[in-house]
Amino acid sequence: MEHVLELGRVLAVMPASSTASAVDLAATIRAVAAGDQDAFARLYGDYVRMVHAILLGRVPRRDVDDLVQEVFVAAYTRIRELREPGAFGGWLAAIARNRATDYLRHARDQDELPDDLPGGQPIEAETLAVLDAVRKLPEAYRETLLMRLVYGMSGAEIAERTGLTAASVRVNLHRGMKLLREHLGVS
Amino acid sequence: MSDYLWDPTEPPDPEVQCLEQLLGRLRTTTSAPQVTVRLKPDTTARLGMGAGDWRLAVIPMTASPKPRAPSPVRYVGVRFLAPALALAAAIALLVANTWSAARFAARSWSVAAMSGTPQIDTHRFATDTRLGVGQTLTTDARSTARIEVSTIGEVTVAENTRVRLIETRAAHHQLALDRGTLHAIITAPPGQFVVDTASARATDLGCVYTLRVDEDGTGLLSVSAGWVAFEDKGHESFVPAGASSRTDRINGPGTPSFDDADAVFHDALDRVDTERDLARRRQALAIVLQHARERDAMTLWHLIPRVGDEDRGAVVDALAFRVPMPGDVTREAAMQLDRTALDSWWNALGLLDTTWWRGWKRPLPN
Repeated sequence: MEHVLELGRVLAVMPASSTASAVDLAATIRAVAAGDQDAFARLYGDYVRMVHAILLGRVPRRDVDDLVQEVFVAAYTRIRELREPGAFGGWLAAIARNRATDYLRHARDQDELPDDLPGGQPIEAETLAVLDAVRKLPEAYRETLLMRLVYGMSGAEIAERTGLTAASVRVNLHRGMKLLREHLGVS
Repeated sequence: MSDYLWDPTEPPDPEVQCLEQLLGRLRTTTSAPQVTVRLKPDTTARLGMGAGDWRLAVIPMTASPKPRAPSPVRYVGVRFLAPALALAAAIALLVANTWSAARFAARSWSVAAMSGTPQIDTHRFATDTRLGVGQTLTTDARSTARIEVSTIGEVTVAENTRVRLIETRAAHHQLALDRGTLHAIITAPPGQFVVDTASARATDLGCVYTLRVDEDGTGLLSVSAGWVAFEDKGHESFVPAGASSRTDRINGPGTPSFDDADAVFHDALDRVDTERDLARRRQALAIVLQHARERDAMTLWHLIPRVGDEDRGAVVDALAFRVPMPGDVTREAAMQLDRTALDSWWNALGLLDTTWWRGWKRPLPN
């Protein structure tokens, strides 16, 4: 049986190809902390798909774009707290999840609104039905699948962005897809 | 066999492609938030900027709520008193419940089932719940879970694992791993997140790591990013990214080593840490010193205080051969385990900026 997180000596080593990108990321984060707006835009470009996918799996679609902006503003204001640039993806994902949790906590006091209200691009019913099915999956599968199916990110890219191990992402993708098929009634 | 789900450049799977077409319509088209303001002169001076410099800054968007006028006092008749008291009691109960729930929330962490039905104490769950101080989270062979560690990161709990939440408060969060595997991503300042096992304590220094431990206390710490301090039994290991440290109940944390060292080196190092027979231990040490690469200076530095007086000279010389002693370090000082000398030599290993250690104890193992 494939284990999600079991790491031996070999698996724990960061892949050599990630070394250069880790150096780039550290430089970008330092530049953002110094107020470099272009660096911030680069960081946004690299991570917006991950943040959007995390939020899309948790909050109503009409509010996702606003929350994405809020997450990045929060990341900008707190980026000096980040001691280890290599952990940026996991850190940003945690901000996104916490922001979604806050949003849902406040939304409990208000009337629930359907997800297909006017606003933004019109979305077909089939898309919303699939999104609804994905949202019923366990959190880890939901996020990984949305990064893959909404944005076409590869498993390796998802691992690099989120800080998860490649093995963990692979399991999330395959188990998530299996469950999604069951939810959608696909044999 | 094609693995299109993992790699979109592989031959496509029609079912996955269909889902991509449907869900791809949900992509965002927004751009990065940009809020540019001119900073106050005293701020620009403090930051060492020129008066005309601009920086990206973020301003709060919500206005302060307007103060409300106090409600006028009204006379309440006796016949309204009973329902009013009942309402007050209900509100008091609600407030008490809310306070109690809030108190539990403050001393608990959010937990989500990733697969199967993990268990908190005797209660199984399949979606989201909370893990309170004193409670135990257990996964079986078919379940995994993810814990949000306050606001500082998350821990993924693998199959067949049992963890207990020992404490959570400002700047101190503590788990006990009784058995199994956890993967932690922590972004807090050094020292705030601690995991105890039967044979060692792992203290996060801002990092990503995996910790596996058996019921008997035998385990392995593997660090993917940042650093972890691993300590017990008078031994202290500082484990950097790409390195691991074994532990067991008898010897405590082992000497850390980089994962890309060869098997001969790892095997000999394990024997240096655990072998009771002195002759065999010295044999193993000779292999370690012979096989150590320049990169393994980190391991040799940790070995200096761990070997006996009779072997310390050989370790010091082996380290000096790979990383020359700084000017303020002498062989004699290193042999006598002089803290300042060993710290200075550590700084010469090129593993991290010394300023990074501020706020955490100096890296001198016992």
